[in-house]
Amino acid sequence: MKIKYLLDEEEIPKKWYNVAADMPTPLDPPLHPGTLKPLNPQDMELIFPKALIQQEMSSDRWINIPEEVRDIYRLWRPTPLYRAAALEKALKTPARIYYKYEGVSPAGSHKPNTSVPQAYYTMKEGKERLATETGAGQWGSARSLATCLFGLKCTVYMVRASYDSKPYRRSAMRVWGAECLPSPSDRTNFGRKVLAEMPDTPGSLGIAISEAVEDAATHDDTNYSLGSVLNHVLIHQSVEGQELKKQFELADDYPDVMFGCCGGGSNFPGMCFPFIPDKLKDKKDLRMVACEPTACPSLTKGLYAYDFGDTAGMAPVIKMYTLGHDFIPPSIHAGGLRYHGDAPLLCNLVHDGLIEATALQQIEVFQAATVFARSEGIIPAPEAAHAIKPAIDEALRARQTGEAKTIFISLSGHGHFDMAAYDAFNDGKLVDYEYPADLVKQSLAKLPKV
Amino acid sequence: MPSYPRSKIGFLINPVAGMGGAVGLKGTDGLAKEARKRGAKPLATQRAKESLHLLARQADLLFFFTASGAMGERELEECGLNYAVAYSAPEESSAEDSKAACKAFLENGIDLLLFCGGDGTARDVAFAAGQVPILGIPAGVKMHSGVFAISPQAAAELMLGYARGELKTRETEIVDVDEELYRSGELQTRLYCTARTPYQPALVQERKRIYSSGSEEEFKNQIALFATEFMRDGSAYILGAGTTTSRIAELLGVEKTLLGVDVVQNGRLILKDASEKDLIELLNQGKKAKIIVSPIGAQGFILGRGSQQISSAVLRRAGPESLIIVATPHKLAELSHLLVDTGDQEMDSALAGRRQVVAGYRMAQIKELKAASDLLQVRGRERSQKVPKEYV
Repeated sequence: MKIKYLLDEEEIPKKWYNVAADMPTPLDPPLHPGTLKPLNPQDMELIFPKALIQQEMSSDRWINIPEEVRDIYRLWRPTPLYRAAALEKALKTPARIYYKYEGVSPAGSHKPNTSVPQAYYTMKEGKERLATETGAGQWGSARSLATCLFGLKCTVYMVRASYDSKPYRRSAMRVWGAECLPSPSDRTNFGRKVLAEMPDTPGSLGIAISEAVEDAATHDDTNYSLGSVLNHVLIHQSVEGQELKKQFELADDYPDVMFGCCGGGSNFPGMCFPFIPDKLKDKKDLRMVACEPTACPSLTKGLYAYDFGDTAGMAPVIKMYTLGHDFIPPSIHAGGLRYHGDAPLLCNLVHDGLIEATALQQIEVFQAATVFARSEGIIPAPEAAHAIKPAIDEALRARQTGEAKTIFISLSGHGHFDMAAYDAFNDGKLVDYEYPADLVKQSLAKLPKV
Repeated sequence: MPSYPRSKIGFLINPVAGMGGAVGLKGTDGLAKEARKRGAKPLATQRAKESLHLLARQADLLFFFTASGAMGERELEECGLNYAVAYSAPEESSAEDSKAACKAFLENGIDLLLFCGGDGTARDVAFAAGQVPILGIPAGVKMHSGVFAISPQAAAELMLGYARGELKTRETEIVDVDEELYRSGELQTRLYCTARTPYQPALVQERKRIYSSGSEEEFKNQIALFATEFMRDGSAYILGAGTTTSRIAELLGVEKTLLGVDVVQNGRLILKDASEKDLIELLNQGKKAKIIVSPIGAQGFILGRGSQQISSAVLRRAGPESLIIVATPHKLAELSHLLVDTGDQEMDSALAGRRQVVAGYRMAQIKELKAASDLLQVRGRERSQKVPKEYV
C-alpha cells in the first residue's frame, strides 16, 4: 500500500484561493471599534501593509503568490499526504484514513504559510519590524522564522504563563533573532497599566494582542501581524487545501469527511476552503468538521454576532461566533485553541450549514493523540489532536457498519514543545473542562440592555 | 540559603486515636479502655513520629508548644525537636485535655496547630483554634475532614512549606461521623465547623509549571460572581452548606447559615436555616427552585452528608435537573469523583454520571458523580487516563 503522496516543488500553488468569491451569503463588513461604522482601508494602514489590507477586503477568487514567497515555501512545501495505514490496522477499520502533515515546516506547524507572506509584504512596503502576540508560542515561532528570512526585526509579546512554562519556544524565537517579551510587559502603556494593577498576573492572549497593536500603532517603522481569524490569513493558508486536492487525485480517492482543529481559524479553513466549490457547484457529498475544545467552544456554543476581536476592545469589531471578548478559557486547559471567537469567513460558512463543528474534551483528545503516536509515530500537537479524536470515532463507526469511508485528518503540527502537557496527561493530572453554556445563557438573559 | 524566622507550632497527639479501628469499634471516642481491652495498640504515636523525624531535619525553623507525656512531649523529645510544655496532661487524657491544651498553645501565640488524630480530634482542635490554621497528621479511624494531610510524610512537607512562607491557607470543613449511629451500621456525617489549613495547590507544578492555578479564594470569588449572574433568572435558589456556597451568599449581601441550608430569590433571603419540611412546603407552593451544592469534606459528598435537609423528597419536587454543583478546581483536584447519598437509590442513580461542576467564572469541569451504594467498589480504584480498550 502506498503511504506517502508527494508533489513536486513546482506544484506549489501559484495563486491563493479566496473563498469569499464563492460564499452564498456575502460577508458582513468589519466595524471600527470606536465608531462601530464599517471599517475603511485607511483605518487599518496604521498597523497593516497596504497589500494585506487589499487582500483583507478582496472578493477576487484568485490572488497571485509572489515568487519570493513561493521560494521560501519550497523549504517545506508541498507537505506530504499520508495514508494512515498503521492507524487503520490498529482500529481494525475498513475506512481509509489520510492525513496531511504540516509539522514538516521549520517552525513545526502550518503557521509559516501566512507568516512568510505577511513578512514579505511588510518588507516590500519599507517597514523594519513586526510586532505580534503569541499564546502557546506556535505563532511566535513562525513569525520569528519569517521575519528572520526577510531580514526584519521582530518583537513577540508572549502570554506570561506560556513564557514561563514553554522555555524552548522562547529559545527557538531567539535563535531566529526575535525579541520575546513576557506579556504584560513594561514596554507598552497597556502592559504597564496591567502590571501596576496585577503584578502577578499570568497574562492572557487579549492583553498580549493589545500590547502588540499598541507597539505597532506607536512606531512608524513597525507593523502588526496576526496568525489567525483575519481574511488574509485564511487566504494564505489555502495553499494547503489546493495541494491536498491534487494529492487526493494521485491517490485516486476523495474524502467523505474532513476533520481539522479550530481555534481562531487558520489550518482548518486553509485545508477545507478549496473544497467548498466542489460542494457548491459539483454537489459533492463532503462533510467538513471544525474541531474545537469544550473549554472554548465558540462555534458550537457561541453566539453569531458582532464582537470585539480582542479583550481591550482596540481591534476591529467582526461578525463571528463568539463567547464574548471578555471570555478567558480556564488556564489549566492544555490543548490550545483558546480564542474567544472564530474567523468571520469560517463562521459565515458554518452559519450557512456548509461546515459543521464539534467540541471535544481534552482527556479524550490526548487519548486519541496517544493512539495516533503509537501507530503512525508522529506525536501530534495537542491542538491537532482535536481532529484525530472524531476521526477515530468515525473510523470505529465504519468498523461497525462495514463502510469503506474516506476520512481525512488535518495534522497541523507536531507536539515536540508540548511534552509537559503529555506528561500531565500520562500522570493523570488533566481534567475535562466544559463551558457551562446553559448557565451562561441564563446569566445573560436578564442583563440590562446597554 | 535564605533564613526564615522560627515558627511557633502547637503540637498535640491524641494518644488513643485510631485504636478503635483495628478492633472493630469504628472510632475511639469515649471507648479507649474498651479498645485497649480488645488488644488495640497506640497508632497515633508511631504516625506522629514519622512526621516529626522529617521535621527534625529542619529543627531550627520550628519551636513547639506541647502537652506533657504521651500527648506530645515524649515524641518531640525523642525526635530532638525544640519545645516547651504548655499543658500538663493526666496519664489517661480525654477530649477535655485536648481542648485545654489547645487553649494553652494559643495563649503562647502559635502560628499553626499540628495535631495527630482523626475526625474527633480535628473537631476538638478546630473549635479551640478559631482562625489559627490547623494541620492533621492522619491517625484516626475516620478522616473525613479537609485538614488532614494524605500521609505523615505529607504533613511534614506541608508543615515545613508553611514555616518557610511558601504556602497559603484555605478554609475547609470539619466533618465527623456520628459514632453511635456508625457502630449500628448507619453512616451519618455532620458538618461541625470550618477551619483554616495550609495547602499545596494541587495544580501547580514547580519549575516546569504548565498551568497556573491561582489561589483558591480567587476561584471561590469567580464561582460566586458567576452564580450571582445566573441566579438573576427569578427562581428560588436553595443554597447547601459549605464555604463555597457561603461565598455566593456573601456576594449577594445575604447572611448565610454556614452549617445549614438557606433559600434566596431575586437576591433576597426568603428562608433561613431551612429544614426539609420548610423546603418541601416551599416547593409544594409551586415555586420554581434550583439547588446549589458543593462537595463537603475529603470524600466529596454533595448530598446526604452535611446537607441532609436537601433530601430525596426535596429533589423529587425540584427535579434532578435543578441541581447545580459548584467547587473550586483545587477541591476537585483532590477528589477522584463526587459522591451522592440521599438514602434513595433511585434518586442517587438518576443524579449519577458525568456532571458539570461550576469551577470558576463561566467555567465548568466535568466530574464523575457516583451513587454511595457504589462506594465500596470505587474506594481505592485509581483514576485512569489511559487509552480506552475499544481503540485497540
